[in-house]
Amino acid sequence: MRLLVIEDYPPLQQSLTKGLREADFAVDSTRDGKEGLWYATSNEYDVIILDLMLPGMNGLDILKKIRAKGLKTHVLILTAKDTVEDRVAGLNFGADDYLIKPFAFEELLARVRALLRRKYREKNPSIRIKDLRIDFAAQRLWRGGEEIQLTAREYALLEYLAMRAGETISRADIWEHVYDFNSSASSNVVDVYIGYLRKKIERPNKPALIHTVRGRGYRLGAQP
Amino acid sequence: MTRSLRSRFLTGTIVGMILLLTVFSLIIYIVIRSTLIKQFDRSLASITQVLAASIEHDLDDNKIELEFEVQQMPEFHNVEHPTYYQLWTDDSDVLARSPLLGTNDLVRPEGSPNKLVFMQPFEKNGIPLRAVGLTFVPRNADNEEADAPLPTSEQFLTLMVARDASDLLGQFTFLRWLLLIASAAVIILSLLIAAIIVRKGLNPLNAIATEIATITEDNLTMRITAEHVPEEIIPIKNRLNELMSRLEASFNRERQFNADVAHELRTPLAGIRSTIEVALTRTRESAEYQQAMSECLEITKTMQSMVSNLLILAGLDAQQTSFDTEPVKIVEVIDSCWNSFSEKARKRDVTFDNRLDPDTTCETDRQNLSIILSNILENAVVYTDKGGNIWATASRKDDAVEISISNTGCQLTTDQVAHVFDCFWQADSARSSAGIHSGLGLALVRKLTVALGGHVAAELQSEGIFTIRLNLPIKS
Repeated sequence: MRLLVIEDYPPLQQSLTKGLREADFAVDSTRDGKEGLWYATSNEYDVIILDLMLPGMNGLDILKKIRAKGLKTHVLILTAKDTVEDRVAGLNFGADDYLIKPFAFEELLARVRALLRRKYREKNPSIRIKDLRIDFAAQRLWRGGEEIQLTAREYALLEYLAMRAGETISRADIWEHVYDFNSSASSNVVDVYIGYLRKKIERPNKPALIHTVRGRGYRLGAQP
Repeated sequence: MTRSLRSRFLTGTIVGMILLLTVFSLIIYIVIRSTLIKQFDRSLASITQVLAASIEHDLDDNKIELEFEVQQMPEFHNVEHPTYYQLWTDDSDVLARSPLLGTNDLVRPEGSPNKLVFMQPFEKNGIPLRAVGLTFVPRNADNEEADAPLPTSEQFLTLMVARDASDLLGQFTFLRWLLLIASAAVIILSLLIAAIIVRKGLNPLNAIATEIATITEDNLTMRITAEHVPEEIIPIKNRLNELMSRLEASFNRERQFNADVAHELRTPLAGIRSTIEVALTRTRESAEYQQAMSECLEITKTMQSMVSNLLILAGLDAQQTSFDTEPVKIVEVIDSCWNSFSEKARKRDVTFDNRLDPDTTCETDRQNLSIILSNILENAVVYTDKGGNIWATASRKDDAVEISISNTGCQLTTDQVAHVFDCFWQADSARSSAGIHSGLGLALVRKLTVALGGHVAAELQSEGIFTIRLNLPIKS
């Protein structure tokens, strides 16, 4: 899942980026409003975490411009402004959630995950595909009662596939949502990680869960 | 005096009415009374003259006679309101008296001949009387129709006619009561009318009072609307509305200030909390913990300086700040302030040049002056371009010393420069990317400078040079 953090206060920007990356999100971040708008409109993010008072361009203006371009990206406003008027203004301009500073990092994570589930129409914090069970909140997974350990990258990839379970997802889409600008770019990195994931998840005597759709991408699901 | 407007107006009305009515009543009474007396006396005088004309002196018999018809005039026989007459000779012998007098005598008047004498009123048999006396020579009885000049009588007679004046006195009494009752009625009626007018007149005040009673700090946008207000009250209403506007503006400033303070404290708090929480999400190398802690320490220092600035501002607002003045060498204060920022300046490759004359002194509070200069220098260090310069100069201006601190690399416009001393004002309406900057420093500079008896101004010179001029009195 790929996130964008637009926050101008350096300690907060740094800790948020670090914490979210450690929670297996692909994170881009900026301190400048105009740069934030450019990021938001030129990449497909799953969630944008947006501060309101920003140099260059106000957070609400960024939100307005994003919505004016028809982007449906989920936006979580992060601000020190706590009056009802401020919240209503933010939500009316098309924000999906609102978190007031100071906040618990755990809560931010939970809200980001809730927005992701909303985005992929998945209300349940855990998902079951055949005998594969993924708990998104705890970031753990089991196949047939046996827990499987994944690296952060592998988990991020599986989570994205699971959120869109049953859909065929292109390599480009996977790249966009699982990797941020910090990732070393390599054309076959998606294929490599799909290979790693298959090794850990698939069982020789059980039906395959990760399917290659020739010329189009990959799909997670029970049917071939 | 806290008397009500109503009672003051009504008391004034009563006192004024009583005074005016008393004066007018007295004048009316005196005029009517003297007119009535004059009429009474005139009719008395004409009776006297008729009576005198009817008296004949028969020179042949040397007898004095009153015509019978005159004696039979009804006045002289009216028992209820009697009219008396009495006639004396020159020698005070009584020649005749009206029948009603009986054996009583009137007092014989003294006077020059042929002149009516109006007597002082007096009483006889319990009847108040007014009287007229006349001394005259009676006409000759025989030669009434003769053409030749007649021998005149040498006999002087004195006649007095007195008439009952109780009717007249009764009229006076009636007049007095009439005036008294009329005055009382006028006073009572005007009081009632005045009371109604006052109540109606004060109604707008009550309406305004009712409106004011509903004003609390939550609805300061309200204005007094009371319609149909008399023009005397319009200025009061307008002044009250202006007062409300000022109060509203000041409450809004206060509210904005509190919101700004909350905002400025929340952001660094969020930074601390988030840094610590992220650091604690997993077990890390000690270097990572150290980095998190030193980041938190930096934020804490910034918050501490902001809180102490807020406290100084609050103390200045509450006028609780005390000043210890002494002669201060400004160059030393600037140097010691610069020490705190020299490290930061070195990192940004910013140089500082203290060009002050070492002898520039002024009598002021050393600690507060150093707070002022520190804030100006900190601001300069943050906003000077990388590799830029900061310099300080001073000059004497009359009884003041003007300290100027300038820096290069200013990105502000002239309009923005006008706002640099406002609380929480920042050029970009967000923190400078150079780090958190609360926007309190220069606001504090202005307040402290004014408290020290000076003034401060900011100015944009050519090529992005920003200068703050601090003007302080040499003698405190």
